[in-house]
Amino acid sequence: MRYGFAIDQRTCIGCHACTVACKTEHEVPVGQFRTWVKYVDSGEFPDTTRSFGVMRCNHCTDAPCVKICPTQALFKRDDGIVDFDNERCIGCKSCMQACPYDAIYIDEDTHTAAKCNMCAHRVDNDLEPACVVVCPTHSIWVGDLDDPTSGIATLVSTQETAVRSPEQNTGPNVFYLGADRAVLDPLAAPVDDTYIWAKPDAQRLETAGDLPGDPTTKARTTLNTAHPRPWGWKVVTYLWTKGIGAGAMMLAGLAYLLGIDLGVVGDYVAPTLGIFGAATTGGLLVWDLKRPERFLYIFLKSNWTSWLVLGAYVLTVFTGGSLLWLVAAAFDVGWLSTVLAWLAIPAGALMAGYTAFLFGQAEGRDLWQSPLLFWHLVVQAVMVGSGALAVAGLLAGLSDEAWTLVAATFAIATVLHLLMLAVEYTGKHAGRQATVAAHIITSGRYSRLFWLGAIVPASVAAVLGAVAWASDVSATVVLLGLAGLLVQPALIAYESVFVRAGQDVPLS
Amino acid sequence: MNLPGERTHERLRNFPPVESWDHHVEYDAKAHPRKVPHEYMLVPTTCFNCESACGLLAYVDKADLTIKRLEGNPAHPGSRGRNCAKGPATINQVNDPERILHPLRRVGDRGSGHWEQVSWDDALDDIAARIRAAIVEDRRDEVIYHVGRPGEDGFAERFLLAWGVDGHNSHTNICSAGARLGYSLWGGYDRPSPDYANAKVILLISSHLEAGHYFNPHAQRIMEGKVSGGAKVIVLDPRLSNTASHADLWIAPWPGSEAAILLSVASYLLRTDQVDRAFLRRWVNWSTYLEHRHPDLPADDFDAFLAALTEDYSQYTFSFAAQEAQVPEEQIAELARIVATAGSALSAHVWRAATAGNLGGWQVSRALFFLNVLTGSVGTKGGTSPNGWDKIIAHGPNVPEGHDLWNELLWPQEFPMSTNEMSILLPHLLQDGRGKLAMYFSRVYNPVWTNPDGFSWLEALTNESLVECHVALTPTWSETATFADYVLPMGHSTERHDTQSYEQYAGKWLGFRQPVTRVALEKMGRAVSDSRESNPGEVWEENEFWFELSWRIDPDGSLGIRKYFESPYRPGEKITVDEYYRWVFENSVPGLPKAAADQGLTPLEYMRKYGVFEVAKDSYRLDERPLTPAEVEGTTPDSRGVLRKPVTLDSTPPLVGEAGSVGVVHADGTKTAGWLTPSRKLELFSDTMVDFGWEEYAAPGYIESHVSHRAIDQGNDEMVLMPTFRLPTLIHTRSGNAKYLNEISNTHPLWMNSLDARRFGLATGDLVRVNTEIGYFVARVWSTESIRPGVLGLSHHMGRWRTSENAGSRWAMGLVDLSNDGDGVWRLRYKEGVKPFKSDDPDSERIHWDDPGVHQNLTFAVHPDPLSGMHCWHQKVRIEKARSEDQYGDVVVDTKRSREVYRAWMDNTRPGPSRSGLRRPEFMMRPVKPKRRAFFADGPGAGVGVEE
Repeated sequence: MRYGFAIDQRTCIGCHACTVACKTEHEVPVGQFRTWVKYVDSGEFPDTTRSFGVMRCNHCTDAPCVKICPTQALFKRDDGIVDFDNERCIGCKSCMQACPYDAIYIDEDTHTAAKCNMCAHRVDNDLEPACVVVCPTHSIWVGDLDDPTSGIATLVSTQETAVRSPEQNTGPNVFYLGADRAVLDPLAAPVDDTYIWAKPDAQRLETAGDLPGDPTTKARTTLNTAHPRPWGWKVVTYLWTKGIGAGAMMLAGLAYLLGIDLGVVGDYVAPTLGIFGAATTGGLLVWDLKRPERFLYIFLKSNWTSWLVLGAYVLTVFTGGSLLWLVAAAFDVGWLSTVLAWLAIPAGALMAGYTAFLFGQAEGRDLWQSPLLFWHLVVQAVMVGSGALAVAGLLAGLSDEAWTLVAATFAIATVLHLLMLAVEYTGKHAGRQATVAAHIITSGRYSRLFWLGAIVPASVAAVLGAVAWASDVSATVVLLGLAGLLVQPALIAYESVFVRAGQDVPLS
Repeated sequence: MNLPGERTHERLRNFPPVESWDHHVEYDAKAHPRKVPHEYMLVPTTCFNCESACGLLAYVDKADLTIKRLEGNPAHPGSRGRNCAKGPATINQVNDPERILHPLRRVGDRGSGHWEQVSWDDALDDIAARIRAAIVEDRRDEVIYHVGRPGEDGFAERFLLAWGVDGHNSHTNICSAGARLGYSLWGGYDRPSPDYANAKVILLISSHLEAGHYFNPHAQRIMEGKVSGGAKVIVLDPRLSNTASHADLWIAPWPGSEAAILLSVASYLLRTDQVDRAFLRRWVNWSTYLEHRHPDLPADDFDAFLAALTEDYSQYTFSFAAQEAQVPEEQIAELARIVATAGSALSAHVWRAATAGNLGGWQVSRALFFLNVLTGSVGTKGGTSPNGWDKIIAHGPNVPEGHDLWNELLWPQEFPMSTNEMSILLPHLLQDGRGKLAMYFSRVYNPVWTNPDGFSWLEALTNESLVECHVALTPTWSETATFADYVLPMGHSTERHDTQSYEQYAGKWLGFRQPVTRVALEKMGRAVSDSRESNPGEVWEENEFWFELSWRIDPDGSLGIRKYFESPYRPGEKITVDEYYRWVFENSVPGLPKAAADQGLTPLEYMRKYGVFEVAKDSYRLDERPLTPAEVEGTTPDSRGVLRKPVTLDSTPPLVGEAGSVGVVHADGTKTAGWLTPSRKLELFSDTMVDFGWEEYAAPGYIESHVSHRAIDQGNDEMVLMPTFRLPTLIHTRSGNAKYLNEISNTHPLWMNSLDARRFGLATGDLVRVNTEIGYFVARVWSTESIRPGVLGLSHHMGRWRTSENAGSRWAMGLVDLSNDGDGVWRLRYKEGVKPFKSDDPDSERIHWDDPGVHQNLTFAVHPDPLSGMHCWHQKVRIEKARSEDQYGDVVVDTKRSREVYRAWMDNTRPGPSRSGLRRPEFMMRPVKPKRRAFFADGPGAGVGVEE
C-alpha cells in the first residue's frame, strides 16, 4: 500500500482552504503550517500569469526524515503514510534538515517535530484528510497509489504529473498535475521584495539576491511561508569543539605511536581537550534540543540508521577513551596507553567525521552532501587540535622533536584544509542547490566572512605553520602558537558560513 | 440517503455517514498515534462569513460541549460539503479571546472607549421604550435598522413590517446596487444565477474564483465547467486576480470601459447574425423598442427590428471599445469570437467590480446580460438565469402587511431609480436637516469603516441630536461599534438561527443556521429555552432578541405589534424560535414536510438534522412556465398582453414585481409566467426609464465613467485607484478576529504597475501620498506586473483601527490617534501597529504581523450614481512621494470638502416623482415594500396617466 496525494493545480484556485482546514484539524500554532499555498507571478504585463502550488510533506517512499530521526519519532506506516509520534520526539530538528521539502517544523506548543501526517487519525477512521474534504474544487486527491484501480492511481497514470525535487531520489508521493515548474522548483522564483498580501521572512528576502531566477519569465514568488534555519550557532560551535578534542587526541595518539613524548601536553592536555570537546559537543547538542529533558531517548529509543544515534555513541566512547587516557597517563599504565594510542586515531577520526554522515543524511541540504566532507572534517580536526596543542605547548613546553611533529601536523592539516576548500568551492557541485549554496558562500551574502574570516587567517596560519616547521622550530614556537590560535576563529567562521549557507537555500 | 456533497474514494469517505452524526467517534488528532477516542455530535449550520452561506458541520464534543472544529455540510446542495478558508476559520471567531461576551453600555461621551456591562433586561427596556415612543408619536421614520451582512431572508422584514416602520437600510449601495439596476431593468430580478457547471463560455467581470458571491459554490462549478465541460473562461479585470490567472482570456481594461467592450461584442453578434432570433422574438420587448426608437418602422416587423438594432449598435466597434478600454483591439475581437461559440450556454456574471466602481456602472451588467439575451443564454442549461428562479424566501406565520410610509432618509426623492436604500448618504441627509434618528441599529455592519467618507459618519454618529441612540448588534468589535451607545453581542454562525437561500446553480435550497451547542444539548435531552443558555457569556441570537424587543415595545398588544410575535401553537403566548421555525418548515417550504415524513421526522427535526433542504433542481426556462388556471383566473390582459388581477392602493406589491401582475399572454396565445418587469418580457427598452426622465438610457448603452482614461490626467500624476478588491481569505472587517486567516494575509500593499512605479521613481516598499478629492492617505507601494498601467489597486479589508485599549480586536487593529482641528479636518495616525498580546490563547503572543493597513475609505467622498444610487468606488487620485512628515497609514480628510463633493453629485440627479407620479418604479425590488399608496409622492392620481 502506498498512500499519496495528487494535487491538481489546473483547478486549484489558491484559496487557502486546505491550509486553514488543516490548521483547525490539528490546532497548529500561528506561524506554522503543515500545508500551505505558494504563489508565483511570472511574466510582464499584459502577459502576467499567476500559479499556485500546494506544499506539504511528500510521504516519501524512501523518507530521509525517518532515516535520520534518532528516536523513531518519525516512522513510515505500512500504508505509506510518514507519520510521527510527538511523545518520542526530542526536538533535534535533524528531520527538518533531512526533508528536502520544508515540510517539517517544530510545533511551538509541544516543542516537537510535526508535519502533515495525511490526517492518519482520520484515515484510520476511513475518513479523508481535512484538506481533501474542504477543497472547493476537489483539487486534492488522496488514495493508494499501488492500487491501479484507485481514483488517484488512475489520475496519476493518465495525466502528466510532476513531483517536487525529483533529484533528491526520495520517492515523493505527492504528484502535481498541471503545476508550473516555477512553483515546484524552489530556486526558479526568488522573492521579489514583498509578497502579494504578506511579508516575506528575512531569510528568504536575504537569500533572494543569491538565487539565479529565470531571466525569461522573471518568475517571482508572491506568497510562501517562512522556514528559518533549524540549526544555528550551537551546531557551528560543536563542530569546532568536537574538532579540537578529536584532533588533539589523534595527534597525541600519533605521537605516542611514533615514540615522541609530548609530555604534559600529551598526557593531560590532549585528553582534557578530548573530554572537553566531547562534553561541550554533547552539552551543545542537548542544549539545542527542543525537548532537552528527553535527551536520553537517543539511547533508550535508538533508531540505528540515524547518525545522530551513532554519533552519540561515538561521543560516549570517545569521552570514555579520553578519560582512560588520563588514567593511563596518571598511573602510568603502559599497555593501556598503547591500546588507547592505537584507538585514538580511528576514534578521533570518527569523532570528528561522523558529522559528515549525519550531514549526509540531511538530504535537504545539498551543500552538505559532499563526499569530501568526512575527510575534510578530519583534517579540520587535526588542524584545530594540533593548533590547540601548539598553544598548550607554549605554556607547558615541548621537546624539539615534539614541536616538529606538532608543526608538521599543523602545517599539513591547514594546507590540506585550504586545498579541500579550493576543491569544494571551485569544483562543480553535485546539484543546483549546492551550487547556489556555494555561491552564497564565495560570492554571496557570506563572502566577506568566508574570505576575511575563514580563508585569510587560515592561509596566514598555514604560512606561519610551514615557516615554523621549515625553520628551527624551537625558535619559532611563538609563530606556531599564534597560527594555532588563528585557525580556531577561522574554523568557526568557516563552519558558520557552511552551516548557514547549507540551510539558506529555499526548499519550497 | 445520498447527500449531494458525499464522496467515497476507495475506502475513504469525506464525511461520516449521516446516521452516525449523533454519536460520531473520532480519534484525537493531537494524541495520535495513540488512539484517544472522542464522541461528537455533528450539527449542521450555515457559515456567516461571506454571503455564500455555505453549509458547515460543527463537531460538538459531547464530553464538554465545546465545538472542536467546523467542516462543510455534505447535505448542502450549494456548497456540497466544501468550503473556502473562511468556513473552517469560524472556529477562531468562536474562540476569539477578544470577543464581546456581554451587553455593554457606553460610559462618557460616544466614542470615548469606556464601557460598562449592562443587563440584557436594562438594555431591552431602554431600547424598547425609545422605539415605542417613536411609534406612538408617529416618528416612525426615526427607527432604522442598518444591516451589513443579512445572512438571512425574511426575518428583518418581519419585525420592521410588524413595527410599521420603513426602516430597512442595507449596505447595498456600497456593494451591488450598480449591478442590480442593470439586471433589474432587463427582467425585474436584480441578480443573475449563472449555470457555470454546464456552460460553454464563462464570462466573468468579477473575481468569482476568490471572492464575490458566491465564492465557494461558484468556484466549484466554474472549475467543473472548465474541466469537465471544456468551457472557455474569460475574465475582465484591470488586476491579475486569482480568477484572471485561470482565464483562457484575461483582458485588463481601463476601469469603466467594460460596457463599451460588451456592447462591441453585442454589435459583433448582431452584425454577424449570431443571435438567437426565436428567443429574441418571443421574449424581448422589441416592439416597444421600435415604437420609441424607430417610430417610422412597423412595430410588428421583427426583421426590421433586428436590422435597426444592428444599425443602432454599429457604433460600438472593436476599435471604439479598444480605445475606451486602452487594450489591443485583437483582444476584444477574440472575446467576441469566443462569446459567439457559446450557443445558448453563456454563463455571464458581474456583481460588484466594474458595476460598483464606475459612474454608470449599472450599464455594465445591463450590457453583459444583453449578451445572454442575444445568444439566447437566458435561463438555459449553461446559461444565466435570474436569481428568483433559484431562491426561496420562507416566511413565518402571520406575515404583517405592507406599511404606508416612505422614509426619505433612505429613499430620498433624488434617487427614484436607486436599487436599494441610499445608505451612503445617511450622514449627509442628517446634516442637511432632513431628519434625525431616535434609534439606529447597526447590525453586522461597520459603516464608519466600510462606507466612504467615514469621518462624516463619525460626525453624525457622535452628534446626539442627530442620532439619539445607536445600538450595535455585532459578534465582534468594529470601528462603528466604538461609536455606539449599546454594543449587544450577537452570535456567530454556530450560535444563532436563520434561514437563507441563494442562487448558486440551477436549483433552489433553503439553509438553516442553528446554535449548534443548543441543538446538541437538546438532542442530549437538556431543554434550552434561550440561546444565551448555550452560547458563550451572554451572547444572544437576533431572532430571540427581536421577539423579546417587540414584546417590550408592545407589552399589552395595543399597538398591534405583539400579535406578530405570538405563538401559532399557543395563542397569546410569546413565540419561541422552535415554534417559529417549526411553522416555517411546516408551511413555507414546498416538499419539506413530505421529505421529512419519508424519514419519519418532523420538518423541524429534518432541518435540525440536515441543516438544509433542496426545494428544486434543474430549474431552467421558468419564464416559459405555463400559468395555472388559478393564476389566470380573474386576470385581464393589458395592451401589451400582461395578465393582471385588479389591485387597489392598499395592495402590497411583491418584493420584486408589480401588484396583480401574474404573467404574459404571447402572440401564439400561450400564457406563461414571464419576467417581473412591467411588460413581463425582457426589456431591451425600458418604459420605466422614460417615465423617470432618463429616456437617453432607456436601452443598454455606454456611460463614460468618472474615472475614464480621458478623465485622468496622467501628465499631472493622476491615476485611477481601485479600492474594492477582496482577498480570498478575508471578508470585509468581520474576519479580523480569525487568526488563521490573518496569518495568511496581513499586509496592505498598493499595487502599482512597474511602468508607473518607474515613472514616479518609486520602488516596492516606498511610501506614497495618495491624494483624493477630500484628503489623502499614505500607503506602501508594490511595484508589480499584476495590474494594468494607469491603475492602482488597494485591497479592501485592511486599515483597521481602534482608539482605545478597551474596545477593539488586537488581532487586526492598530491603535490610532484620531484628531479634529474643529474645522472639519480630521487626522488619523497609527500610534501602534498590530503586535503580540497576552490572552488565554497562546497564539496571540505569536502574532508575527504588524501591518494594520491603510484605511483608504475614509478619504473617499460619496459618489452616488444618479440612477442606481451605487457609490462609485473608483477614485481619481494624484500620486506623490510621501513627504517627510508623513507616516505609513496616515489619513487626513476635510469633511467640508466631503460636503461639497456630496452636493456636486446630488446636482447630477433627476429627482422624482416620475411623470406618472411615482416615487419609484413599483416592480423594482425594495425591502419592506410598502403598499402601492406609498409609491405616489403627492397622493394617487397626481401624476400623468396613472391607472387606478
